[in-house]
Amino acid sequence: MGSIFTLARKDLRLLWRDKFGMFWVLLFPLMFALFFGAIFSSGGSDGTRSLKIAVVDQDSTDASQVFVEKLIESEALNVIVTTLDSARQMVRKGKKVAYIVLEEGFGEKARFSFASVPPMSIGIDPARRAEALYLRGILTQLTFEDIKKIFTDPQVAQQRIRKSIVEIDSTSGFDPRQRQLFRGFLCNLDTLIAGIDADTNMLGLSQKGGGIKIESVERESEQGKPRSSFEIFFPSAILWGLMGCAATFAISIVQERTRGTYLRLLIAPISRAHILAGKGMACFLSCVGVCVMLLFIGSVALGVRIDSYLALLLAIICVALCFVGIMMAVSVLGRTEQAVGGAGWAMLLIMAMAGGGMVPTMVMPKWLQTIGSISPVKWGILSLEGAIWRNFSLNEMMLPLGVLLGFGTVFFVIGVTVMSRYEL
Amino acid sequence: MIEATDIRKTYNSLVAVDSISFTVNRGETFGLLGPNGAGKTTTINMIVGVLKPDSGVIQINGAPDPTQPEIRRQIGNAPQSLALYDDLTSEENLRFFAKLYHISGTTLKQRIDWALEFAGLTERRKELVKKYSGGMKRRLNLACALIHDPQVLLLDEPTVGIDPQSRNLIFESIEELKKQGRTVIYTTHYMDEAQRLCDRVAIIDHGRILAMDIVDGLIEKHGGLSLVEAELSEIPVDTASLPGTLDGTNLRIETDRPLEIVADLVGSGQKFLSLKIQRADLEKVFLNLTGRKLRD
Repeated sequence: MGSIFTLARKDLRLLWRDKFGMFWVLLFPLMFALFFGAIFSSGGSDGTRSLKIAVVDQDSTDASQVFVEKLIESEALNVIVTTLDSARQMVRKGKKVAYIVLEEGFGEKARFSFASVPPMSIGIDPARRAEALYLRGILTQLTFEDIKKIFTDPQVAQQRIRKSIVEIDSTSGFDPRQRQLFRGFLCNLDTLIAGIDADTNMLGLSQKGGGIKIESVERESEQGKPRSSFEIFFPSAILWGLMGCAATFAISIVQERTRGTYLRLLIAPISRAHILAGKGMACFLSCVGVCVMLLFIGSVALGVRIDSYLALLLAIICVALCFVGIMMAVSVLGRTEQAVGGAGWAMLLIMAMAGGGMVPTMVMPKWLQTIGSISPVKWGILSLEGAIWRNFSLNEMMLPLGVLLGFGTVFFVIGVTVMSRYEL
Repeated sequence: MIEATDIRKTYNSLVAVDSISFTVNRGETFGLLGPNGAGKTTTINMIVGVLKPDSGVIQINGAPDPTQPEIRRQIGNAPQSLALYDDLTSEENLRFFAKLYHISGTTLKQRIDWALEFAGLTERRKELVKKYSGGMKRRLNLACALIHDPQVLLLDEPTVGIDPQSRNLIFESIEELKKQGRTVIYTTHYMDEAQRLCDRVAIIDHGRILAMDIVDGLIEKHGGLSLVEAELSEIPVDTASLPGTLDGTNLRIETDRPLEIVADLVGSGQKFLSLKIQRADLEKVFLNLTGRKLRD
């Protein structure tokens, strides 16, 4: 056993000093997780996902300023108030998606008109039509809130009715019968509204606690769903690290043969089984190390949380054993470092593509998901996800773990069988 | 100590080693001299047990299986390729190989210090091997074979590709090992190395031992005549009385008693501008045995 540890420690030390190997084993997977995790991140509360717009207030009335305040308060928008020229420049240079101009008369129309929309114009980057539609929807919503207030708030409605009565009285050339008809209707409406309880809106809904109730649901309580995109991409990243380990150690076996150190090992008073066990142990330990390090970084820096530590431990052990087997099989794909490196990475890339190491399986077509079942990468990711966010029970974990051990055994037997036929 | 009887190894239709037999006695330095591809390395690999002969028997200290751990502990092998880990220091390389032989504690430290001193690398023990020169790597390669203090040492072309200074250092190291009474099998295609270091030499070609003896014995049996080449100061009047062939003033004589011939010429009053006596060597032995030069 001491010889196996000696061999494994030597290989781990060599891996640690191999900058190229360390890149593929640790740095690349971390970059992969960070890059794709960040791209697909939901953004959080920093406003980075909100629509960036410029607002030009040409009206400068209380009403227009209230509207600008509403725009600023909207979580969907990231607003800067500026001049028209500056706003146009910002959109032209792509710094803002659009600009909104609140034109003169905006306040007047907003306060007293029943029928017309307050005058405003929108300038939009032609390349960003989708965002334009989104912005139009937000503006419609905000404008509708004002109109709704007219019909639901008795005080605002009375104010508008009385303003209209004054306008009817002061308008010259109006047919007296028509004037009398409208005036009578508006006065009766004024009397009707005056009788409504202040706490009840005109649609009959209590203003206290009325409308749609929106409840915030804590993400922790969601079972079987990833809490962030990092939880989706860290298992994939770990598999990339394990593929790096398998490729690096497979190449190191060939290096031992081509450089003559394997001969030295063979004539030492240890068996071939010791030599292979030492190599396997080094690969296993480095796989476990990669899993632990990446998950540590993910949990400390990026909020990746583990649902079940026991399931995670089992997943790490099984996936590491599987990749020890893969390492042995890859090492016999050629007689030179170049051959094994090339053929090995080709084999591993196919496994990664089919198994969801590049693109999450959930976005793959059904047929490709089915094909992916022959890739150990798929089962590796599934077992890690099961422990991290899928909230698998131990029974549910048995399938991916069993498949991983099966793959590992088959690959290991193939590797050892072919290797035993090699002579120097 | 080492006895090979009728060992044969083939790779498909290629006969690498063709039923050779030899015995190496305790404390003897035995040379396998032959060109590249002659079967020297295959023979070494069969002796250490990493290749199994198709037929024949190899015994080391009477044991028929060189793969037994007790036998392997008695053997040190310096392969032709530099069997070292470039990304480890010389000390780490030595420690690693020593631990495979279950050396530990104070003995481990003593053996590492001795091996570094032997290889002349004590000052650079903490440097990665990849920063070493070819000669330093060769010396470390030899030191790694000696780290477990073996009685039998197999050196496969230990001076390939190194500068003359390092080569000389390795010669001195091997001579030191000879003095310590270790048994050495030394393969080379340099006849001067075999002539300097080996007590007995087997000439090997195409997997067969063509001749085997002490160096002087081989030369005597297979080396042929010595050559005397002289440039005379003037063409003698009586050329018929001169031995050998005369071309102008250049006299060329092949003889088995070169010193006596030179004495006779001086006695007859001949004066020389230059004189060269070329004794037969292992190169000549190989040429006479195979019709080819060693490096053809």
